[in-house]
Amino acid sequence: MNSRKLLTAAVLLLAAAGMMFASGSNGNQAEEGPITLTIWHDLGDKGVDWFNEVAAVYGQNHQDVTIESVTYPTQQWIERSIAALNTNTAPDIIFNNYERVIKVEDQTGKIMDLSREFSALPKTDFLSEQDLAISKYGGKMLIFPVQRVQMAFGVRKSWMEAAGKSFPGTWEELTALSEAFQKKDGIYGLALEAANPRDLIHMLDLFQFGTGIKHTIIDPDGNLTLDDPAHRDVVRKVITAFRNYTPADTINFSFAEMYQVIEGSRAGMFRVGDWNVNKWDKPDVLNGDFVLGPWPALNPGDKNAVVIGGMRGAAVPENAPHRNQAVDFVKFLLESEAQKLSFQYIGASVRGDWTLDLSNHQRFFAQPQHNLIAYDFPESIHPFYPQIEEIYHRHLLRLLEDKNLNIDKVIDEAKADIEAYIRDNT
Amino acid sequence: MTAFPVKDIRRYGVLYLFILPMLLIVVVFGIWPIAKSMQMSFTDKGTSLSLAPVYIGMKNYIKVFTDPYFWDSVWITAKFTVFSVPANVLAAFLLALMLGSRQIRTGSLFFKLAIFLPVVVPIVATSVIWKWMYNTDFGAVNAVLTSIGLPKWGGLSRSNTVLWSLGTVELWKHVGLYTIIFLTNLQLIDKEMYEAAFMEGAGYVKRIRFITIPELRPAFMLNFVYATIQFLKTFAVAMVMTQGGPNYASNFLSYYAYSKFRLAEYGQATAVGTFLFIIVLLTTLALRRLMRDRDEGSRS
Repeated sequence: MNSRKLLTAAVLLLAAAGMMFASGSNGNQAEEGPITLTIWHDLGDKGVDWFNEVAAVYGQNHQDVTIESVTYPTQQWIERSIAALNTNTAPDIIFNNYERVIKVEDQTGKIMDLSREFSALPKTDFLSEQDLAISKYGGKMLIFPVQRVQMAFGVRKSWMEAAGKSFPGTWEELTALSEAFQKKDGIYGLALEAANPRDLIHMLDLFQFGTGIKHTIIDPDGNLTLDDPAHRDVVRKVITAFRNYTPADTINFSFAEMYQVIEGSRAGMFRVGDWNVNKWDKPDVLNGDFVLGPWPALNPGDKNAVVIGGMRGAAVPENAPHRNQAVDFVKFLLESEAQKLSFQYIGASVRGDWTLDLSNHQRFFAQPQHNLIAYDFPESIHPFYPQIEEIYHRHLLRLLEDKNLNIDKVIDEAKADIEAYIRDNT
Repeated sequence: MTAFPVKDIRRYGVLYLFILPMLLIVVVFGIWPIAKSMQMSFTDKGTSLSLAPVYIGMKNYIKVFTDPYFWDSVWITAKFTVFSVPANVLAAFLLALMLGSRQIRTGSLFFKLAIFLPVVVPIVATSVIWKWMYNTDFGAVNAVLTSIGLPKWGGLSRSNTVLWSLGTVELWKHVGLYTIIFLTNLQLIDKEMYEAAFMEGAGYVKRIRFITIPELRPAFMLNFVYATIQFLKTFAVAMVMTQGGPNYASNFLSYYAYSKFRLAEYGQATAVGTFLFIIVLLTTLALRRLMRDRDEGSRS
């Protein structure tokens, strides 16, 4: 075979391959007949299990609809969702924390306004004004709120009893208990986290809202609050807790490392999210050896509480392949049966009018008898919030790195930098 | 000026055809993403990933270049590269000399494997292990130090020790590859040159200085260039072990860009990526040029 023939054969081969790719990419799903709704989330395997169970119940009245849920790591979920919505290859439903859905809307403007669908729902009184406020962004109702995320303060029960102390309700009690725990070699008072870009602020948020003080950095009107006397006082105490009662490596700790300290029984007090309870009740983890309660009141007269720290919800892209069916399924997620499954699998829901055999720890979150305070969700009001939060975080990290730095001075410097950022960027 | 080699293409058409798929792969997966990333660096963050991005000129670059943390990242990356590249190449050279010597023929394969193994183990897995080894409270490093009466090492939790700690991990991880490159080239050196030098009375150090090092010049160049690219792009160890901390002390340029991605600042993130790409390219070209000039100088 001469080279000309070889060349012709190769060109034909490439052309054939090209045609195969071209036909393969034109794979739109038929609109008629049975359909598959695709949901993208970041809840991992337990999320897949939850959606499978919900789909089974939903399928009893919708035989022509199957549900396929796909889980991605969080950052990948954000980037995939943005790219898919922008290129008209969106899934039917995207499910995640409200602030991540906002990021997708910011980059695409293609998330459906669910206001009309929401107002047509027969029962919504289980959702508070706060729940509804954070569902909205830029004049649209972006998500149907499905899972309210609660975060409480936890203490190792047997350790506390051995120390002869009670659940810490004040700063003084917290420090006393920390000192008692730290008498044992290798044990720390608290398990906290402080890694980039916002873990330290997350901890500060919990202590701050937990003691009843809102708006860690900025209020809804745009006034900076980080240097208010009450806010300063909380920062002083939280930084002291970091400096004195946590492992030296905490400055690099993210969730994974913090959990290793908790589950490795190296700290006596820690954050407990409603989603942690199932695992930590198991014999090979903490065996349920922890007491739950509100965050300590850091100043006399503070009304301390358990913090509602987030909201997960379902959004429907405007260019979803099966928009109407997707909206119908999203509505179903707010029905009692779906909510029960949500609590069972994920540990969180927005309504509690269902019956389930609950452990004490589960009941603590499902039927709250304590004060609840909602995080103020500043991202839904101030689009620049992640940036100013990062600035504040950088300054606070300096306080962990250098224990001799003056806390008030650093707060003032952070405020000046944040003011400059807002001035230059809004 | 050289004319476009149409004749060559006609003559070796089939060969060019066989190269074509690889060329397409390079264009689609290599050049095109770089070009797209550069294009994105000129867009507004709110529209960066949309079908109709809004172009805002150099604004992203200005924002990045006026951020003091960006220049801190540049300084951290430069410092880390300047120390790590010679350390790695020198360590690899010494290891290659030892492994290539007749004295340790027994067990030589074992040592080669031991040195090369970290290269093939996924960096994420090794980083996690090293992270625990550096743990201030119960890590192996501090256990050894305290057992011999030395103070605890700050490891990953102090700004003044974190780069040394990461540098050690990177050296352990990469030195095997550089060593193998040296070793392969060592075996290509004509043994008669050593014999002649020996007969002339040259000692071991002189033989290394006047035969081994000049003969290994291409291997040095390859290792220097490769290591420079490697260390300028340091990312995985920071991502897994420190997340740029403590207090941004290991906030390498790549990690700085990644942080911008996490904030959905796609324009700024790709601006940093473009800056890093240009720096890597220029540094590599400069190194090549430097080595070639030296090579020509030594020949003339």
